[in-house]
Amino acid sequence: MNMFSTSRRQFLGRASGGFGAIALAGMCDELGATPANPLAARKGHHAAKADRVIFLYSTGGASHVDTFNHRPQLTTDHGKSITASRWLNKGGEFKRFLIKPRWAFQQYGQSGTWVSNLFPHLGSVIDDVCVLNAMHCESDGHDKATLAAHTGSAQFARPSAGSWVSYGLGTVNQNLPSFMVLAPAAPYAGAQTWGSDFLPACHQGTHVVPGKQPLPYVQPLVADGEMQQMELALLGRLNQSHLEQRAADHALDARIRSFETAFGMQREAPEAFDLAGETEETLKLYGLDRGATSGFGWQCLVARRLAERGVRFLELIDVGSSANWDSHGNMADHERLARAIDKPIAGLLTDLKQRGMLESTLVVWTTEFGRTPFNQKADHAGREHHSPCFSSWMAGGGVKGGIVYGESDEYGIQTAEDAVHTHDLHATMLHLLGIDHERLTYRHAGRDFRLTDVHGRVVHETIA
Amino acid sequence: MSDCRCMNQTAVSIYRFVITVVSVCLIQVGATCYAESDEDFFEARIRPLLVKHCVACHGDKKQEGGLRLDSRDGWMRGGDRGAAVIVDSPGKSLLIQAVQYDDPDLQMPPAKKLAVNEIADLEAWVQRGATDPRREAATSSSVRMGVEEAHAFWSFQPLKTPIVPSEVGEHWSRNPIDSFVMEQMKEHGLTPVADADRRTLIRRATFDLTGLPPTKSEIDAFLRDESTGAFESLVERLLDSSAYGERWGRHWLDVARYADTAGDGADYPVREAYKYRNWVIQAFNRDLPFDQFVREQIAGDILARRDSIDDPERYASQVIATGFLAIGKRYGYKASPAFQYLDFADVIDSVGRSLQGLSLGCARCHDHKYDPISAADYYSLYGILQSTKWAFPGGEEQKRPAHFPPLVPPAQVSTLEEAKTAELALIDAKLAELQRRQNEFDPSWRAGGKDLDFEMQNPGERPGEPWVCSGPIEIASEAQSPFDHVHPKGGLGVRIGSGEPTDGLRYVFKEGLHATPGQSMHFTLDFRSVTSKEEGAFRFYLGRGVVQSLAIQCSATANEFAISDGGKWKVIRKITPGTWYTLRITIDPATKTFSGIVGTPGDRTEFSDMSVGPNWDGVADCFICDGFGHVTGAACSRDLDNLGLQTQPFPDPGSQSVSPKKASGDEETQLAALEKEIAAIGKRRQSKAAEPAYEVAYGVSEAEPVNARIQLRGEPHRTSDEVPRRFLEVLGGDPVQPDSAGSGRLELAEWITRPSNPLTARVFVNRVWQWHFGRGLVDTPSDFGSRGTPPSHPKLLDWLASEFIRSGWSIKSLHRLIMQSRTYQLASVDNDSNFAADPTNRWHWRYSRRALDAESIRDAMLAFSGRLDRNVPQSHPFPNVNTWGFTIHNPFHAVYESNHRSVYLMVQRNRRHSYLALFDAADPNQSVASRQPTTTPTQALFLMNSPFVHEQASGFADRIVAVAGDDRAKVLWAFETVQGRIPEDRIIEDAIAFVSEYREKIDGKKVIGEKGINPGDRAVWSAFARVLVTSNAFLFVD
Repeated sequence: MNMFSTSRRQFLGRASGGFGAIALAGMCDELGATPANPLAARKGHHAAKADRVIFLYSTGGASHVDTFNHRPQLTTDHGKSITASRWLNKGGEFKRFLIKPRWAFQQYGQSGTWVSNLFPHLGSVIDDVCVLNAMHCESDGHDKATLAAHTGSAQFARPSAGSWVSYGLGTVNQNLPSFMVLAPAAPYAGAQTWGSDFLPACHQGTHVVPGKQPLPYVQPLVADGEMQQMELALLGRLNQSHLEQRAADHALDARIRSFETAFGMQREAPEAFDLAGETEETLKLYGLDRGATSGFGWQCLVARRLAERGVRFLELIDVGSSANWDSHGNMADHERLARAIDKPIAGLLTDLKQRGMLESTLVVWTTEFGRTPFNQKADHAGREHHSPCFSSWMAGGGVKGGIVYGESDEYGIQTAEDAVHTHDLHATMLHLLGIDHERLTYRHAGRDFRLTDVHGRVVHETIA
Repeated sequence: MSDCRCMNQTAVSIYRFVITVVSVCLIQVGATCYAESDEDFFEARIRPLLVKHCVACHGDKKQEGGLRLDSRDGWMRGGDRGAAVIVDSPGKSLLIQAVQYDDPDLQMPPAKKLAVNEIADLEAWVQRGATDPRREAATSSSVRMGVEEAHAFWSFQPLKTPIVPSEVGEHWSRNPIDSFVMEQMKEHGLTPVADADRRTLIRRATFDLTGLPPTKSEIDAFLRDESTGAFESLVERLLDSSAYGERWGRHWLDVARYADTAGDGADYPVREAYKYRNWVIQAFNRDLPFDQFVREQIAGDILARRDSIDDPERYASQVIATGFLAIGKRYGYKASPAFQYLDFADVIDSVGRSLQGLSLGCARCHDHKYDPISAADYYSLYGILQSTKWAFPGGEEQKRPAHFPPLVPPAQVSTLEEAKTAELALIDAKLAELQRRQNEFDPSWRAGGKDLDFEMQNPGERPGEPWVCSGPIEIASEAQSPFDHVHPKGGLGVRIGSGEPTDGLRYVFKEGLHATPGQSMHFTLDFRSVTSKEEGAFRFYLGRGVVQSLAIQCSATANEFAISDGGKWKVIRKITPGTWYTLRITIDPATKTFSGIVGTPGDRTEFSDMSVGPNWDGVADCFICDGFGHVTGAACSRDLDNLGLQTQPFPDPGSQSVSPKKASGDEETQLAALEKEIAAIGKRRQSKAAEPAYEVAYGVSEAEPVNARIQLRGEPHRTSDEVPRRFLEVLGGDPVQPDSAGSGRLELAEWITRPSNPLTARVFVNRVWQWHFGRGLVDTPSDFGSRGTPPSHPKLLDWLASEFIRSGWSIKSLHRLIMQSRTYQLASVDNDSNFAADPTNRWHWRYSRRALDAESIRDAMLAFSGRLDRNVPQSHPFPNVNTWGFTIHNPFHAVYESNHRSVYLMVQRNRRHSYLALFDAADPNQSVASRQPTTTPTQALFLMNSPFVHEQASGFADRIVAVAGDDRAKVLWAFETVQGRIPEDRIIEDAIAFVSEYREKIDGKKVIGEKGINPGDRAVWSAFARVLVTSNAFLFVD
């Protein structure tokens, strides 16, 4: 578009100072971010195995013993009592009864990884997946555990993992945000889960609500494209003249450029969300009806399209803070919830693989915590929150497929071997992206903050 | 089941289980018989083991639990739990306990239990004396600044008044600020650029002080004013405008982490938050001295009781000011101290950062790593907060607000509550009187209700409205009572057959009786048992609702009649099947007793001094006859008739007959008038009842004084020593006097605002400087500690702080001082050599161009469209408090549109206002020292395509159309209004050409019009307006 083609780029060379330069103080300098464009793509600390992340989040706390952690002894000892030293956040001695999983498990793939009947489609691609069966965290409350899973901090407002990645690596496509969240409803703790907090706001997640108009304001209100271009062209000339009289102000330049990008987004984003060009085969892979603009299949397929277009960090949230995996009353809910995501996720992994993108795309699935393998009565239909042991998984992006890492005790109550804390998962994600989690820091309120706070262990055993 | 277990604590390891698991302790420690030396044993087995499994988390990089295992000194000193190794005693050594994995709260290494032989080696090592040649390196001592050292650090040094540098030669400076700035510029080889022109100055000053653009007439007036004091008068006018407080109050609200919701998981709305917001705005507008501004925010409630009992307005205002403490992010689910440690973490951190420029929050878990702040300092302040009562906004478990401090003195609280009760009683009396009159018009209304004698019912059928019944029951002429002293002689009564105990009859009195002092309640009923076949009793219940609150109950079998005396059945008399009896009861709510008679005119039995149901709440609005009498078994069938409940006494049984009501002529009009009046008064009662007896604030008040205990690693369940309430050691450490009856907040307010406090004035003048120039003299406005940046102009900072205190902490004086400096009035133009030497303009060789913030952009656009509402709104339209049931599963969320200034938008903590978030407004989850402006394509999309921008552009277009003259005149007016200046001719011609070209294109299309304005005109000028309000010349201030 000629309306933007100017000589303004000559200023970029000088635009290292001025307002906003302060905002970039921090370890980002080390990664080569320029104040002119904090979202410019850059390399990490070491060679990356993955270029991007698709983070799948099941809200409410999916039961580990009903999904990925096969505990036959739990079935054998169904109804036997145990003594729990904690119940619903209170200490003491509680006589509780073991409850067997409601769904049978079977071995899938060459690896023979156990998966329950809730996830048959995922089972069919399990050889690409590394199941983590000894996940743990400290928080038994939804909002705190949700924040911990996203920001590393259960208590205080901190930037989301996606914001940290955007801050560390920037993004390759300036026509789309670096960090996008596809979610029909907000999870617990709301927008804090994808907030940039003290990091510059350009790193915050852009919330996309599935539907006909997923990105706000991307649709021009001036119906006639030619007339909108007239307006933008005049704007360009006004700004150009304004800039020429002011020289070397990257902030002015950045604003001009943001309109160029916005214009690009106006063109590119609707296309990214438009599934018309997808084949029947592909739609079928995701279990998606033609014309649908919502559902987890839509989220997964759009995620693939956005990943193709260079979005750095995509988060997909399946349900909001109600009617989710929080099956206190009846575990039967898990069936409906699993059915909604099983095929789409398997479709996503298959599709990424077919297109040669799985190698460079780290796919992570997690939830805030697991659910108690026991309850007050043996015939209780539900399960309660359980943070000491739960399951997550990773796939693609340099992850060793077809393995199970981490072992719980025979009932899935405690982690027994190779425990992975939420901080460790974050450290590993960053590592795969080429970032040293101890060196990606930001100076705020008198200290250097990290996604992993003062914790985190890269789980090298899961890396191919 | 919807119970969510959402509370949580940070306990570490949680579950242990015991079942038929065989414990694995079969391997006896046979390791003690190694022949090697202790040193060799350590080197061969222990050192590698520690390095492999422990030192990563307990070494020089990390000290989990405060413990180091990379030297003998480390494990001897131990961590939070004490020494890790007790020499010779493996059983007592925490290290050994941890590796044995027996204690669920202490299991190391966390990932995996050590091998059996490794554990055995460790045990053997301890048993043998724990030989460890490793000594702590002398250099590993902490980098933390001690209190002594701190006194030499710049920010903790007493404030001095530096000598203003004298200028040699040229007279560049206008006031001492310039002299300090010039001194630094010279030192750095810089020369200031020229002064800004007048148009630039008025636009800069107006946005700076009011957050609004100057209007064209304001610009014209300023350009015309040729007096030397023109700029001074401009500044005075701006400081006097109410928009000043709206702009500068907003700056403080960033620091004060202001929001309209609580920020817990369910994000409860806080209806009273706006009072604090408005208080801040007014405080700036009336130039409340900053020291008093701070004192009131920390201890306003105490000051109010001390100083303002006789000044209601001041009293209220000072209580409201404590919103500063209360307004932070909340973590609790109910008003319980168990949840408050995180609330307090927010308050301590916010107070530290906002007022003292210290990151006190770091000392929650351990002594501050760099600054002279100890955990004891933190918990001494914690004690002060714990001695304070906090307004609770509502939360998941306790869904209603509590402990909001009243805006009136305690003595008035009860007076006002009584006054409200009295006022309601007055309305109720009036209402009752009107209803009584209304009922007089209704022939079926008598003795306290409609159809209490069953005459509206159909014989042979079950009773219908207003009666409710179940079981065998029918209206019958045989069931007509012979008595007519309450209801006129009729032809119908009700016959209730024997059935289940729950079967029977119910009547709800629409206007039930409420216990009122000095007023009795009167009840009457005629009844008889019909057969003596069944042996059980039937019961009469009177009380509130369906046995929700029992007042009296009577019972009868075929042969006897009983009354419950405070819950105990007493048989009163014999009765005979087939004989009608009449019952009359008078309740005295004051004594909670009742008396009455039961019998026939010639055979009356009196009873008195019976106690009502012990839990009766004073309301009688429901009568029931069922089968739960004083004798179990099927109740006998019975007839009932002639029920009554009213505040006037009923006549004696056997006294004169009453006659039926008659309808009169103009009844309908009278009735309509009455109904209207009743509705009006009913409405008044409702709103009166909803009105609080007195206003309250989201603030704090005094509670029982207590000292807090240090919480190890910030975990409230792991407490250590108690610490007395006192100020930070590095700032004097003054204690709260042990005999003080207060929380210590008043003392805290004094310690912070005393002129000898080296931080308070420095921190605040630096903020004001930053809000004027975009950047502080200290680059880290909320961190004046060792990790912060030292001031660029230390002497200027101190001089400003001293001047500030000398002026009586007047913020407006500070504005005058700064804005009248030449430094403030410099142009924002470039200069190559200056830029090369000082690209970030640290030394103020020019004025740094600034981007408009979120509020200014929105407010200015509303001003352009002429739709800006300059009124001060009150509370947000939150849902009625009685409907609140927000949970983390269903959190509160709302967006309230308005055309008020943006400072008045509802700020939600957990779901941010999408516009404010998009344009980098402060995140209310924490104290924000400086906003970080970003420039993103999503912002550009908003500017291009949001309905808001299009609507304001359209409103602005209508104003452009109204400007007299041709396109050129309109274009010039629009440029001046939006950008404050007229661009060069080339651009004007370009704009005019754009307008005519756009008009041509529009003319070819059909444009739907509205009244008044030519639709084509509006479309053309809207397009031009959109370009202007998204242009850089608008979005930036030179």
